[in-house]
Amino acid sequence: MKRKLTFLVLAVFCFQMLLAQNKTIRGTIVDSSNEPIIGASAQVKSTHMGTVSDLDGNYVLENVPADAVISFSYIGMIPQEIKVNGKTVINVVLKDDIQNLEEVVVIGYGAAKAKDLTSPITVVKGEKLMSTPSTSPMGAMQGKVAGVNVTNSGTPGEGPKVAIRGKGSFDNSSPLYVVDGMFYDDINFLNNSDIQDMSVLKDASAAAIYGVRAANGVVIITTKKGQRNQKAKITYNGYVGVQKATNILEMANSQEYATMLLEANYDAYVSTMKASIDKFGGSYADADFHNWTFNSNTDWYKELLRNALITNHSIGITGGGDKSVYSIGMSYLHQDGIMDVENSYKRLNFRASFDYDATNWLKVGFSGVFSNSDQVLPKNAAWQQAFNAPGIYPVYDSTNTQASPEKYASPGAVGFTANFYNPVATADYYNSKNENYQVLSNFYAQFQILPEKLSFKTSYNYDYSAIRGREFTAPYYVSSWQQQAVSELKKEQKNYYNYIWDNILTYNDQFGDHRIGAMAGFSMRQQQYRYLWGKANNVPEGKEEWLYLSNGNAEGVTLGDDGYCYRGQSYFARLSYDYANKYLLTFTMRADGTSKYQEKWGYFPSVGAAWVLSEENFMKNQKVFDYMKLRASWGRLGNDHVKPSDGFASITTGNNASGVFGSSTFPGYQNTTYFSYLKWELVDETNVGLNFATFKNRLSVDVDYFYRMTKRAVISPRLPFSNDVLAGNYGKILNQGADLSANWNDNIGRDFKYSVGVNLSYLNNKVKDLGGLEYIKGGKTINMVGKEMNSYYGYKVVGIYQTAEECAADPIAVANGLVPGDFKYEDVNGDKVIDGEDRQVLGSYIPNFTYGINVGLNWKNFDFELTTYGQTGGQIYNRKRALRYAQSNYNFDKEQYENRWTGPGSTNTNPSAAALIKGWNVSDSKVNSYFVESADFFRIQNITLGYNWRNIRMGSYVLPGIRFSLTADRPFTTFKANSFTPEVSDAEGWDTEVYPLTSTYSFGVQIDF
Amino acid sequence: MKILKNILIYALPALMLCNTSCDYLDKEPENKVPEENVDFTKVENMYQAVSGVYAKVRTGGMHWVIWPLSIVRDDDVWSGRIDDQTPLVDMGNYKYDNSFWGLNEMWNQYYGIIKVANAALESLDSYAANITNDADMKNYRSYCGEVHFLRAYAYYRLVEAFGPVTILRENTQTDMTRSTIDAVYRYALTDLQNTIDNTPRLRPNEMAHLGAVTAFSAEMLAAKIHLNMANYSEVEKLTDDIIGSGKFELYSDFYQLFKIPGKLSDESMFECQCTDFGLGSGDMVDADNWFVFQGPANDGDISGWGFVGIEKDFRTWARARGEKVRATTSFLEAGKTTPSGDVIRPLQNSTQTDCWNGKAYTPLNQLTPGRTKYGANNNIRIFRYAEVLLMNAEAKVRLNKSGDASLNLVRKRAEMSEITNATLDQILDERRMELVCEWGDRYNDLIRTGKAATVLASKGWTADKTYYPIPYEQLSNIPSLKNPPVDK
Repeated sequence: MKRKLTFLVLAVFCFQMLLAQNKTIRGTIVDSSNEPIIGASAQVKSTHMGTVSDLDGNYVLENVPADAVISFSYIGMIPQEIKVNGKTVINVVLKDDIQNLEEVVVIGYGAAKAKDLTSPITVVKGEKLMSTPSTSPMGAMQGKVAGVNVTNSGTPGEGPKVAIRGKGSFDNSSPLYVVDGMFYDDINFLNNSDIQDMSVLKDASAAAIYGVRAANGVVIITTKKGQRNQKAKITYNGYVGVQKATNILEMANSQEYATMLLEANYDAYVSTMKASIDKFGGSYADADFHNWTFNSNTDWYKELLRNALITNHSIGITGGGDKSVYSIGMSYLHQDGIMDVENSYKRLNFRASFDYDATNWLKVGFSGVFSNSDQVLPKNAAWQQAFNAPGIYPVYDSTNTQASPEKYASPGAVGFTANFYNPVATADYYNSKNENYQVLSNFYAQFQILPEKLSFKTSYNYDYSAIRGREFTAPYYVSSWQQQAVSELKKEQKNYYNYIWDNILTYNDQFGDHRIGAMAGFSMRQQQYRYLWGKANNVPEGKEEWLYLSNGNAEGVTLGDDGYCYRGQSYFARLSYDYANKYLLTFTMRADGTSKYQEKWGYFPSVGAAWVLSEENFMKNQKVFDYMKLRASWGRLGNDHVKPSDGFASITTGNNASGVFGSSTFPGYQNTTYFSYLKWELVDETNVGLNFATFKNRLSVDVDYFYRMTKRAVISPRLPFSNDVLAGNYGKILNQGADLSANWNDNIGRDFKYSVGVNLSYLNNKVKDLGGLEYIKGGKTINMVGKEMNSYYGYKVVGIYQTAEECAADPIAVANGLVPGDFKYEDVNGDKVIDGEDRQVLGSYIPNFTYGINVGLNWKNFDFELTTYGQTGGQIYNRKRALRYAQSNYNFDKEQYENRWTGPGSTNTNPSAAALIKGWNVSDSKVNSYFVESADFFRIQNITLGYNWRNIRMGSYVLPGIRFSLTADRPFTTFKANSFTPEVSDAEGWDTEVYPLTSTYSFGVQIDF
Repeated sequence: MKILKNILIYALPALMLCNTSCDYLDKEPENKVPEENVDFTKVENMYQAVSGVYAKVRTGGMHWVIWPLSIVRDDDVWSGRIDDQTPLVDMGNYKYDNSFWGLNEMWNQYYGIIKVANAALESLDSYAANITNDADMKNYRSYCGEVHFLRAYAYYRLVEAFGPVTILRENTQTDMTRSTIDAVYRYALTDLQNTIDNTPRLRPNEMAHLGAVTAFSAEMLAAKIHLNMANYSEVEKLTDDIIGSGKFELYSDFYQLFKIPGKLSDESMFECQCTDFGLGSGDMVDADNWFVFQGPANDGDISGWGFVGIEKDFRTWARARGEKVRATTSFLEAGKTTPSGDVIRPLQNSTQTDCWNGKAYTPLNQLTPGRTKYGANNNIRIFRYAEVLLMNAEAKVRLNKSGDASLNLVRKRAEMSEITNATLDQILDERRMELVCEWGDRYNDLIRTGKAATVLASKGWTADKTYYPIPYEQLSNIPSLKNPPVDK
């Protein structure tokens, strides 16, 4: 066959030599505003001949047959094909592809043009991520895509939480990331500059090709690739910035703290306050304790915080010839944490990709990312302690004679016992590091069996990552409950080994107006995890080199060993059909097998259809719509994030299950007799959507409605008489809603371009069925048929008892010994008794409405971009406040002090100080609406101002471009919740966040060489 | 060319298929030992299941919040702090809050012991099926006996706290209707009879598994139950048997009895054991914060959370009786130096107790060097022979016999003068002193003798406050708990 082909090419060539005279063709490629396009490609169709335009947009093609067709293309422009027809000069104007219809979109196991899609897939280009100084690429996605909810975390090196189209699972709701074919749960190891583009597959018909992994949506990431016939393009990108804590929750100062507790119970707390004044200064001379003064007024957050540096440098080289393309790059990121101790994140990434046409029937390629990062971890418990610690003891206390090595103050100095710490000491005496190594590699070979029609691709993806951690605690003393008598070293080694082997057969053909595409594939995968740790005491302190377990005491060494291994294999196929670019149909099917569950195989079909109305004759004469496409799809997905059950009752062993007999243990075991056969969750989703462009392509709009039902949702009710929960496939959850994104692009005159984008997402979540039960109560929240999942459940506060007469007249107040200042709960059934029957649903964490507004401006060499993001309709449970049940004299937040009930008429919403230490108002098992707060917020996500120079002539060298930019990332957030952030990390919305949000202000440079 | 085609068309799909052999997906979970895979033929491992139940008593039954809930309801002991865990103060004043998390914890932890015990008995039966000789069979019965004791112990504590509770006959039970106190006691006594019949008549410190419970431990717990049921002749019979065995003896030094030298003494009937393995570093196997919770408010390592206070009135009463040995041991007072030389700082917060539980105090000089945790390496004393003697004395007096002999053994060790013709009240006073701060026996005595109505009236006690309410969390999740208790 190869011989045949060669012969054919030769024959054609000779024939052309004979009949036609080849010519040199030149010309200029410009955009619609007549600016030259640099690097646009001019390719002689059906050959390898091609070139790219230079700095002035000029190109030269030699030896072009007179009857050839030349195709001109550039990213983001509508390609054009022009017949040579004897011309020698061909000048081209490429138009902006405003709706990106010609853009090639990566879909599962293949690619398709945007205009051929039958389901909502949003593509985010790598360069869009570059303006945000985030350590993880997903962090830069916040507010950019409708229906994608990104919750950022404040810890250095830690990635955000991502949810696509709401929560359909009680367990893990994070999407599947597919990086060059490899599956990941997060992509925190990638640098923003490593990414060429990301495709977000939002609906089931697009994601179904990933079967059992796809229920929470799929994000496909392609790392940077080169372009054919392109000279080496070298790009440097870097920024340096400062991170600053914002929205720090204001805490009560010493005087306010004293006021609260002394109002609550003078006798109980007066000695603590006087101890602080006696020891650290101040005065309690005044008869009214409200006027007492405290010299110790520590603002623990201020003591713990600093402004921290972040910097990132990346350099990339891409290029390609006739037969090969390449891209290599490296990047270095350094981020300091905002806690005022040594804590940082450093990451060095290398990547390379190479594709080569070995012959005309074989193409091979490789891509790899190597990532090495070092994390010096902060002790996040210090934030929690700072939140709880009142200001009445200082950071340092020279009279704390036992303290060593630093003279940190002990909370014991004012009579506090355990549960109170010196947070600065906690942060300071913590010494923990992680080294991470991660290698992602992809090898493939593609066989062209029938030219341009049938091909077979086999690719092997391997991911290895190793985390080496060590935590060392040197001896120190602050107080008897905050000390380390003997040094302790813990080391751990985590290894992940994952592989995926994909084999794909692809067939494309066209018969007249009928275009068909078919794909069939087989895939195998394995995920393996190994974890080994050891702990030893009395390891000498001083040098890093001494920190080995073998240098510690031989006795008392403890070890641990754990791991898992899951396998999967899948068969999948896709069939797509297109009639005259008008009617589009897509079917996919995946059969997924997994070793994780007792039920091994699952089948995930999908179907999608689209109708391009604007191609119809009846639409040809109207001027309103430039483009219009109607889409509908249905698909089924699986969620294997559900923690598998062992499938058998297992036993607990170890010291906690072993009795002591004399001075040793007898190895024991306990049967955890409960288990359930878990199955994966199933998601069925129907999506109806419309895309259109109007106002001469200036406005493009995408609207989608989705109806997404999770079946066999895994819920974990509490077991009777136990703190344990047992998961089972009990539920049905419905998420329905709509995504809308609209973009307006226009220019005023030649120099001023602007764009406005809006994306809105509405979501309605409901529990539809719980296997016949009315409700299932978990540890934190309740699931009740007809209500939002994970709802808070408890008493509704309808007011505050204002007077003694009011209490005396209310049988509920009398029965419970309530006094003015206590909460008045709604007596739902009106039986004059407050009990379990009076509880009601008080909200849930799921936001109903999220929105993002983006504005872009370009004026001459300046560009400006503003991104905003907000959400409404969700609630958080302020667990930080509720924790007072466990320790009544923790510090208060300032709002509690300022708005407290102080007498009849002072407030009807906030309790008195005394009420806050009373079980009626603050209890672990009785939730009430005082602790449920709105999670609404609005944020200016990013502001970037840039200035570009192009074609700077430096002697004989012309620098293609240089850009300077100023970025403020997350400069402003507003919300009402008494919290550090309403974006909490707990899936059920329990707000225990004590880590402040950060804003980053940075200066960036991009240079194209 | 043809070859290539063949490779592509036949070889690759074949390669695909050969790797898809079905066993690729048959992968067992890693690092989990299936219960069915516990090798029940290895009869020598039989005791592992029993050891697990002891562990549950230590990790669950000794949860620090259970401790104050067990002891704050009499007239002698209180929470010790009003600035923290205030519900514990309220509980002591019979202002019960059924939503207090500690009550729920207490309920769940004791039932946790029962569940682990139920499962252990099933495990032991599976081993039994593989037993081929009499010696192993004897061990099997003895081991079952130990588990029966531990289960009965959990029920005993549950009834003390909550009155009528559910008998969890099987771990998979769905009807959680409670049983009457009498029915639960009958169930526990059946368990204990099994222990009495099958475990050796030895002291715990003579057992192969050092400190494991024996027939005598079970006799003592049975006697306690009969005492509550007012079956005094049974109490006499059981305690006579223990005393008559000649195995047990009061530890001569009452102060050291509760410290490291007194671990598993000849007086010990049942102890919750802990260990630091004799090492100054590394893991300890202990009862979490049981000791730390009641450590005094103090500087340095002889300190804790400062809970559990002994009332001043009681101390005055004790000293008026002429108590020296027992007062010194039981009262760990602020501003004093202990006989072991540890200084307790003067009281800083006048609302806190100025006297903590001396029976939970382990001196600094007895800690393994390197250990700083209050009470590290000490055991928790649960049942002591002294109480056997006191029950014996009481039963005899109730049956119109003389209880002097047993009573005076206890008094003698405490360096108190002997009593002749002791009265019931004298014996109850003796119990009050001897057992102060040990598992709430004073409150139980006041309830079973009917004295609570007078003695505790000033603190607000009424008959409906005899037991704690069922935890709110349980009541709201398990409707069958609202059913009236059944007598079975």
